[in-house]
Amino acid sequence: MSAQELDLRDYFQIVRKRLWMIVSIVVVVCILAGVYSLYIKNPVYEASTKIIVNQTPTQSTVAQLDLNQINTNIQLINTYKEIIKTPAILDVVAKNYPQFNITAEDLLKKVNVSSVNNTQVMTLVVRDNSYQKAAEIVNAISLVFKQEIPSLFNVQNVSILNEAKVDPPVAPGPVEPNVVMNLAIAFIVSLMIGLGIAFLLEYLDDTLKTEEDIEKYLGLPTIAMITRLGQEETKSTELQAQKLTRKAGELEHVTAAK
Amino acid sequence: MSQQPSKQRHLITVTNPRSPVSEAFRALRTNIDFSSVDKQIQIIMVTSSGPEEGKSTVTANLAAAYAQADKKVLLIDGDLRKPTAHKTFSLSNRAGLSSLLSQQAELEDVVQDSGVTNLSIMTSGPIPPNPAEMMASNRMSAVLQELRQRYDMILFDTPPLLAVTDAQIVASKSDGVIMVVSYGKVKRDIAAKAKANLDRVGAKMLGVVLNNVKRKASEGYYYYYYGN
Repeated sequence: MSAQELDLRDYFQIVRKRLWMIVSIVVVVCILAGVYSLYIKNPVYEASTKIIVNQTPTQSTVAQLDLNQINTNIQLINTYKEIIKTPAILDVVAKNYPQFNITAEDLLKKVNVSSVNNTQVMTLVVRDNSYQKAAEIVNAISLVFKQEIPSLFNVQNVSILNEAKVDPPVAPGPVEPNVVMNLAIAFIVSLMIGLGIAFLLEYLDDTLKTEEDIEKYLGLPTIAMITRLGQEETKSTELQAQKLTRKAGELEHVTAAK
Repeated sequence: MSQQPSKQRHLITVTNPRSPVSEAFRALRTNIDFSSVDKQIQIIMVTSSGPEEGKSTVTANLAAAYAQADKKVLLIDGDLRKPTAHKTFSLSNRAGLSSLLSQQAELEDVVQDSGVTNLSIMTSGPIPPNPAEMMASNRMSAVLQELRQRYDMILFDTPPLLAVTDAQIVASKSDGVIMVVSYGKVKRDIAAKAKANLDRVGAKMLGVVLNNVKRKASEGYYYYYYGN
């Protein structure tokens, strides 16, 4: 039966019918997401340091770049990345810098270590609600890491390329919440939910609406379709009534005449 | 002029005969006229499964449409429980169908002039305690027989099918039954149940009038004040 298959125009019709519902869902969700992003969620700032892993020339027998040596360093970075995230480093940071008032577990959540493939540089990133604190923590971790590595590996091959500026000339913006991203996600998700609800309601609606419905469920022909009396009809009715006062008058004064 | 157009029952076929809605009622009239080949349809009953689907409005407008076709039309308000015809036509309801059936009035006393040429109205009369029994009475059949001689077309407004049994009784005495279905308001199984009620008494179903259809912007312009 053709009534079962919806064609594209039917979909538009369904959407148009419940357009206000869909629009209001989208607007409400986007406003909530915006308010949450801007006012409720604490902003998160990011500070980073770069650390280079390289043998110092004093330890190297030959004072020139050795490909093997570089490869070893690159391999070492993977190990270092894990070491930074262990209590061996973070406990020391927490102990040596009591002004942060932070535990090793919390530090672990804030810190993120990454390296670009096949380079000897690794990046330490710390996120915190205050940029200054993030910068201080990331500097502290880098420093402690540099100090602790010799005792773990018995090599002195870590140096800090750049420290995070605690007081940068331009105040960095928060990396989180990403208002635009949150709004975009809220918009798309709410739009899909709204459309889903509209189609669900349409699907659940088992009232008679078309001639096909009536033929299918009642087995009767539709002998007339009477449209709702709209504004125009009422208006033109009154206009007409003014013009055709004889007819309208008869109607109005039937009781009086009787 | 009425200030509450939404609530007021519009006799649009009379007040605005050129509107598309009036045209739809004329189309309904035509469809009914051609729906029966062998037997002439003289008594038409209008009903619906539930209340407020537009039975009385459809009946009144269809009656007016028939009257405009120079037929002698009688509209009977067969809804003895919640009558409305006297309001639509601003008539007195002191005497009507119930008075006629309870032998308190004669036919001549209860038929009123509607104000529309060719259209007479029989209002419901005082609300009786036993409408169903009244409808089923022999007196009712006799009255209808008498009315067949006097009018070309008799239209019956009735109570909703699923609420009370009155409509079923009238259906068995009518030549044709029109079921009004309000757009998007009646569930499939409810409508099917109402139709089954009519089938059980052997009513001749003429078809369905889909009422309160939402007008689509693209539709209706074909004959919209065509030739104006």
